[in-house]
Amino acid sequence: MFNVSKETAPPFGMISPFFWIGSSFYLLATIFLLFLNPQHGHFDLAIVGWLHWFLLGFMMMVIFGAMAQLVPVVLEVGHFSVDLYYIIWPLLLVGTLVMSFGFWVNPFVLPYGGLLVFVSMVIFLYDTLMTLRKVTNITFTVKTVIASNLFLLVGIIIGFVLSLAMGSAVDIDINSWLGVHVVMVLAGYITLTIMGLSMILLPMFGLSHGFDETAVQRAFVLMVSAVIAYFVATLLAWEIGKWISFMMMLASVSLYIYQVTIIYDTRARKENDIWVKSMFVGYASLLVSAVLGFVYALTFSENFLMGAAWFLIVGFFAFLVNGHLYKIIPFLVWFERYSPLVGKQKVPMLHEMLPKRMANFEFFFSTMGLVIAGIGIVISSDDLFKGGVTLLITGAVFMFASVRWMLDYGIKK
Amino acid sequence: MCAITKEQVFEAVSTVIDPEVGFNLVEMGLIYDAIVEESCNIQVIMTLSTRACPLHQMITQWVREAVEKIEGVGIVEVEVVWEPEWNISMANDNVKKALAGI
Repeated sequence: MFNVSKETAPPFGMISPFFWIGSSFYLLATIFLLFLNPQHGHFDLAIVGWLHWFLLGFMMMVIFGAMAQLVPVVLEVGHFSVDLYYIIWPLLLVGTLVMSFGFWVNPFVLPYGGLLVFVSMVIFLYDTLMTLRKVTNITFTVKTVIASNLFLLVGIIIGFVLSLAMGSAVDIDINSWLGVHVVMVLAGYITLTIMGLSMILLPMFGLSHGFDETAVQRAFVLMVSAVIAYFVATLLAWEIGKWISFMMMLASVSLYIYQVTIIYDTRARKENDIWVKSMFVGYASLLVSAVLGFVYALTFSENFLMGAAWFLIVGFFAFLVNGHLYKIIPFLVWFERYSPLVGKQKVPMLHEMLPKRMANFEFFFSTMGLVIAGIGIVISSDDLFKGGVTLLITGAVFMFASVRWMLDYGIKK
Repeated sequence: MCAITKEQVFEAVSTVIDPEVGFNLVEMGLIYDAIVEESCNIQVIMTLSTRACPLHQMITQWVREAVEKIEGVGIVEVEVVWEPEWNISMANDNVKKALAGI
């Protein structure tokens, strides 16, 4: 029988920096969008720099913080050494800042930033892989954690070599290996991690039971095969192989979305709170991204590729992460400040620890911004894009304020 | 002969509230049984709404502490089982209606 005790749960002071730093990066990332032009395409260094700011400073920062708490929950064993998380966020923070400076100002510092990010991720992987060695119950989620972390390892090694190449220290075909780096990290790590964790979190929060998991198991096999196929196709310089692997990823995503609808249909908890609404927009964005990706695979039009990337990263990834912050932060705060008081005095319920009005404003502005800016990218309208970004920034301000509000809940009481 | 009844145990456990959904464990249908021995030792058999519940240990501790408040109680044990798996049909009508937003 598995227990998560005070000892295996990470201290609040250890994880809270991951969340407030992450939401700060998110806010600044939305502001930086005003200075980008998506029509410059995905090789534009300003866009690549923004992507690293967003994915490392926001996505990875929040995912790592969440994993500090979720690893014992999903793997059903305690961390190998949870104290390692004390050094992960400072390394990731400084590394991301240096890397972004490298992309935007001076490429010669890229390897230094890349090295710091690389070390932070190796430490994260070390704890996760050593924790996995203690696991005896190999569930579907455990399989996704194993696969996704191995892909992350390959992805960051390639990323580090790329940073050396861009800093002129190594001579490789940057364009080809950039594709592998992107596939390994976005499809191999982030998507598989979300796929695995969602099979725990969606039924847990929605109180769904007794549903068929065949679709997500097939989605997992397809995604793992697709990522490996893309890697092999790049090694062999086989362009059709890359295209086939891309289609396999789309099929995997379609099966996964189908699985999510099954869980949604079987949920006992029908309330559409901020978490449910965020999940809805997130998964709708994944569907839009898959459709735009399919159109790109047929037309090779850069607009559709950029649109697919927009809805995947700013839609699917960001809404899932931000939506879960409304669940994870109140829980951590409650666990830290109120769980010792249960039975001794009245304690708040988790839903009372949410800034509902601010969260609803965040959701409204973020959704409007996502859609309008996304349309702007697809139809090459810079005005629409910038207009949407302005709404997105407004949403990010509310998100940042909500995170601070939740982290500070109960401090003065 | 122990004077504590199963109903008293359930009443004591009904003071324990799941902070995520806001309902007590008894109305959620999470308490399967309470065995009261002649010595007044009590065994509570319960489940959780998910195996991945991060409050697993704390909830069982709250249940134990709630039952220990019954006068004359002996040793209290709480066993968490996963068979039968909990589902919403085990909750009472108030919980079902509230969760369904009726």
